[in-house]
Amino acid sequence: MKESYQAIVIGAGHAGCEAALALARKGHKTLLLTISLDAVAFLACNPSIGGTAKGQLVSEIDALGGEMGIIADKTAIQIRMLNRGRGPAVQSLRAQADKVNYHTQMKKVVESTKNLFLKQAEATKITVGKNSTTVKTAVGDEFEAKVVVFATGVYLDSRIIIGSYTESVGPNGFKNAKQLSSSLSKLGYKLLRFKTGTPARVNKRSINFEGLELQQGEENIQPFSFLTKKPIKNKANCYLTYTNPQTHKIILDNLDKAPAISGEIKGIGPRYCPSIETKIVRFADKDRHQLFLEPEALSTDEMYIQGFSTSMPSDIQKQMICSLKGLENAEIMRDAYAIEYDCIDPLQLKASLQSKLHESLFFAGQINGTSGYEEAAAQGLIAGINAALYLEDKPPLILSRSDAYIGVLIDDIVTKGTQEPYRMMTSRAEYRLSLRQDNADLRLTEIGRKVGLVDDKRYKIFLDKKQKLQNISLLLKQKLKIDEKTINFFKKNNENPPKNSISLKECIKRSNIDAFKLNAEFNVFEGFDDEIINEVNLITKYEGYLKQQEEDIAKLKKMESQSIPEDFDYSSQKGLKIETIQKLAAVKPANLGQASRVSGVSPADIAVLGVLIKKHKESK
Amino acid sequence: MENTIVAVATPLGKGAISIVRMSGKQALKIALKFFNCNCQIQPRKLVLGQFDLGDVKEKCLMAYFKAPFSYTGEDVVEFQIHGGVTVTRLIQEKLIQGGATLAQPGEFSKRAFENAKISLDEAEAIVEEINSESEAQLKSALSLASGKLNQQIKNIQTSLTNLLAHIEVSMDYPEEDENEIVRDEIFKTLDENRQLLKQILDQANQSRFIKNGINIALVGKTNVGKSSLLNALVGENKAIVTDIEGTTRDVVEASIDYNGIRLNFYDTAGIRESDNAVEKIGIEKSKKTLDECDIVLIIYDGSENLTKNDENIKKIIKKPFISVINKQDKTRKLAKQENEIEVSALENKNIEKLKEKIFKTAIKKSIDFNGLVVTNERQMQHINQAIKQINEVFKQKNQSLEILSMLIKNVWNTLGKITGETENEDIISVIFSKFCVGK
Repeated sequence: MKESYQAIVIGAGHAGCEAALALARKGHKTLLLTISLDAVAFLACNPSIGGTAKGQLVSEIDALGGEMGIIADKTAIQIRMLNRGRGPAVQSLRAQADKVNYHTQMKKVVESTKNLFLKQAEATKITVGKNSTTVKTAVGDEFEAKVVVFATGVYLDSRIIIGSYTESVGPNGFKNAKQLSSSLSKLGYKLLRFKTGTPARVNKRSINFEGLELQQGEENIQPFSFLTKKPIKNKANCYLTYTNPQTHKIILDNLDKAPAISGEIKGIGPRYCPSIETKIVRFADKDRHQLFLEPEALSTDEMYIQGFSTSMPSDIQKQMICSLKGLENAEIMRDAYAIEYDCIDPLQLKASLQSKLHESLFFAGQINGTSGYEEAAAQGLIAGINAALYLEDKPPLILSRSDAYIGVLIDDIVTKGTQEPYRMMTSRAEYRLSLRQDNADLRLTEIGRKVGLVDDKRYKIFLDKKQKLQNISLLLKQKLKIDEKTINFFKKNNENPPKNSISLKECIKRSNIDAFKLNAEFNVFEGFDDEIINEVNLITKYEGYLKQQEEDIAKLKKMESQSIPEDFDYSSQKGLKIETIQKLAAVKPANLGQASRVSGVSPADIAVLGVLIKKHKESK
Repeated sequence: MENTIVAVATPLGKGAISIVRMSGKQALKIALKFFNCNCQIQPRKLVLGQFDLGDVKEKCLMAYFKAPFSYTGEDVVEFQIHGGVTVTRLIQEKLIQGGATLAQPGEFSKRAFENAKISLDEAEAIVEEINSESEAQLKSALSLASGKLNQQIKNIQTSLTNLLAHIEVSMDYPEEDENEIVRDEIFKTLDENRQLLKQILDQANQSRFIKNGINIALVGKTNVGKSSLLNALVGENKAIVTDIEGTTRDVVEASIDYNGIRLNFYDTAGIRESDNAVEKIGIEKSKKTLDECDIVLIIYDGSENLTKNDENIKKIIKKPFISVINKQDKTRKLAKQENEIEVSALENKNIEKLKEKIFKTAIKKSIDFNGLVVTNERQMQHINQAIKQINEVFKQKNQSLEILSMLIKNVWNTLGKITGETENEDIISVIFSKFCVGK
């Protein structure tokens, strides 16, 4: 007898949890399968959430009604704002998360959510039927549902590699999924083989911190979640150390034992996350590399060595680590390892993360060739929302590149595919000036509300902020009198004092003055929170640039409004070059905007395509 | 909002009249920034007026077609110009300055199609037009001479890509301080590339000199010996009277060959403010000649003191000039002039030296026949635009890195319109190949 659900999510990592929560919160009876209940929302690699571009992703997930931001705030043990000295668009929050607590808290939320059923089981076979899809597990149980979301992370036919030792297991020695890959192959999915890795963990008591650079958290920072109103307390420190010529010598002397270099590892690793041996070979001119020592959790003394990922044999790892300053007597608790795994080619997906091959299947997270907890959670949320909308027979939620980093991420992988595990970066977002962490709620809460994941509490906080922003914007027209105080204020800030009265807006636009300084001196924004003053300051200072970006966005939106019918047959079109036809037919873009981003398609091709589509639509 | 596009609608340099067409919401607004007439502008009515080119006002006809009753279905403005290539080019340039953008291949027809001005049956013809025009652009970009330009611009793009990668890595990996970009480096690289672009423009001008010769205007008050100087310059060389593109209304007095380059001399009427209508036309024409030439010879009588009239003449000249002090045979009374050379037209003294000076002033360095690039109108526009955009980055020098990056990407994109490289995925590849980043 098959147990029946409306949705089944396979995998309870960062993608799977968000997907399942979204489905259940939208009222759909959802089964969440995990290969191990002890691996739910497990931070398998670095004990941190956020960072450049990733911080933006977390706040976007939060604004849409996802869970990651809330749990990250709850379990953060150190928090910092990166790029503080730089412009607002690239400022990102980065938190050291308590690995144990993060898992515990997320598991608790998942298991206590209505309509959501968390179960330990290994999915082995998928059968897509006419009205339902069946998931068979290793012990022979069968579950059926109308939609299935794949969020299997790096567990598909994975193996870990430490020197010449390899074993067919998942991350951290967890059991892996051995049979699901072949089931996916049979369903028609093209599989890719990717690789990633993680550094060793050492016991804190064996580290000599004397002489190591201390890195502390910052106080009073706006957290990830717009619901978190209490600032996060810093409870732990990080430290900095460096590799040295001795470290490099050990690595170079033992290169023949490095699986990535000897050819033992065939999977494609990310260029942005190279192992230390790769860094030393490729950047031979650098005499040292920066390493961070980060606490894994408050309840353990394990420390993570960021920047030192390797797949060298264990004895060489020991020598390498002991050559580092402060780690001379390091007790290694877990060895570093590389991990190879299967994922699907994301070109097989629509921007809704629905499969092009089988409309009842959705995919999210590392199975789509991405890397990173935040990237996974973002996709999980969107896949969960769209699986739910599919069940509800409603059109999918597709975020544009100008709406959110989430939009950029998904558009990139489904339009261009990926040759390596994909990581989010601010440089990938062409409209990043508008896609800031501070305004994620302003950009997305309304969308989340419409989808049904933004509850009244969150919505009220959002409406309040909007109202306050409106109020403070009205104040900008107010003028400063030109008296001695004003003149001194300008002089003090190295600005020419104005001759006639000057509006607050014009004041803020001066390069050496900002809304905070203005408020401190004249109390003009009395009663407004820093968050609001910060927002109005940014919008005013960057008005011209934001406007330029808005014009570009308008052009993009126009292109994206020109949809390409699913039945549009490229091969029968006259006027398109054969290579162009092949490229477009492989991706099957949903609209002219997406088509323009397919690699190797020129603006002239798009002009032609626009004409052909109009003809196609009108001649029907 | 759809942008307003502009292009020359007739083949350049062929036919007596050329048409510059503009289409889009802003068309009339942009047109009226430059076009003046004493009558009311009505749709579908041809009006005569003047197009303000800055120093010169060009008489031309303008027609306005109000949407949707136009070729494209948008607001359309057309100028009919008699002035030849240079004036047509200037008018197009002005309209771009005024806010229009250069039309893409087949874009007018494409818009007409989108606005249902052209029937579905003609879709294939439009596709054909877009393809053939972009192919023509591509072909000209890949032609032997232009291929060089393409390569040079590509190199500049690569340099900017590397620069952008460095800026981006500083922002995306702020914790790895060894990758941090130094601000001075940004501006150094930008300046180098600006110099390269200017060099390309210089080279393009050289190519133009080789094709069309150097145009030299002679100016000076009456009786300073302009005619005799012209005779001395032309000497026994057989004067070739030619009809050169862009100067059809001006009479080329004579052309000679100098080191393989043609020197084209144009006389001007004596310039002084006048109430006499006939004379005024002559003066207007002279001013125009001065505006369109490459080099001006200001001719002085060395035996007289500087007059107010001499000073007035110098004021209106904005081109490179040579002060030619004639009547070397008489006692010199005139004070030293800028970039001067003493000659005697009567005694044929220093005439060869003058030719050499003309040549050097125009060409600056010796002509590097290998370095020549041929550019077309479109390419020149884009190069000029890119230089302006670099200047803009310098104006915003103190802005944050993300803003500088955005402005530099604008430059990159403009250059991409020449090379056809429109996607910049390389930035991320460069980040990973040049910088050691990651956990």
